Amino acid sequence: MPIDPSVVGRVYPAQPYEVSREKIREFAEAIGDANPAYVDTDAAREHGHEDVVAPPTFAMIPVMRGFDILMDDLGIEFARVVHVDQRFTYSQPLRVGTRVETTTRLDSVRAVAGNDLLKIRSQVRDETGADICVSLATLLVRPEDSSDRDSRD
Amino acid sequence: MTERVSEHLAVGEVVADQTYWVTREHLVRYAGASGDFNPIHWNERVAKSVGLPGVLAHGMLTMALSLRLLTDWLGDPAAVIEYRVRFARPVVVPDDDTGVAVRVAAAVIEVRDDGVVALEITVRVGDQKVLTQARALCRMPGGRPGLAS
Repeated sequence: MPIDPSVVGRVYPAQPYEVSREKIREFAEAIGDANPAYVDTDAAREHGHEDVVAPPTFAMIPVMRGFDILMDDLGIEFARVVHVDQRFTYSQPLRVGTRVETTTRLDSVRAVAGNDLLKIRSQVRDETGADICVSLATLLVRPEDSSDRDSRD
Repeated sequence: MTERVSEHLAVGEVVADQTYWVTREHLVRYAGASGDFNPIHWNERVAKSVGLPGVLAHGMLTMALSLRLLTDWLGDPAAVIEYRVRFARPVVVPDDDTGVAVRVAAAVIEVRDDGVVALEITVRVGDQKVLTQARALCRMPGGRPGLAS
């Protein structure tokens, strides 16, 4: 069933997320990234950071919290969602200990060949309200009977 | 040592090129670390039931690998100020011990006066591009030892 366009513009409550040292380590290991700036405070300081920072795509963790709320609100089943495109624009890195707040907005919905294309804007800010990054994502929601359609991720 | 790295870069120059292997184990680890438990990334039965060719790598994992090429080159992960990609084709991860090879390369598109460098990233499985329209903006460190002469 297509998504009702009246939901466009909906903004979801800011979601808190605290960036922890062990989560940064776990994420860096999962993507196989041995950059010392993720685990070694001295190495991070050499680049001018107060303490360790997270890999840039770590930002997707708080961003996804907002996606979950949006999809729950619109009744979208996770397995039917494919990621079409993604953009991150960074104002500052995600540092360990930062308590971020992520605001999620549904920018647009477009029906394409029986699928719904959702554009979602997420703003990740630190506890002072300063920008950390902006995520722009396009998600494709496949219809319920989609076994004969092309796929992408 | 005070020269900018960007002064040594030429448009079209390939600054990094690397192949990463992705196995089912990587997908499970990434699911746990990222919190993205969409079953199409670990459950063949569910993936096929929604019309996919098999278990797929998370688009965000492929994006992370391609960005890692840049952060390895730059040193400072925070030197990346913008990155965007389009997930053009699914990366199917076979149920074996070797997995799938993802080849990533970065080439200079533009060197700006302010030291920001625009790069085009190509991400291929075999001869097919899996990420397209992949572009990064990076702030080049001034006079980083080993890169600047």
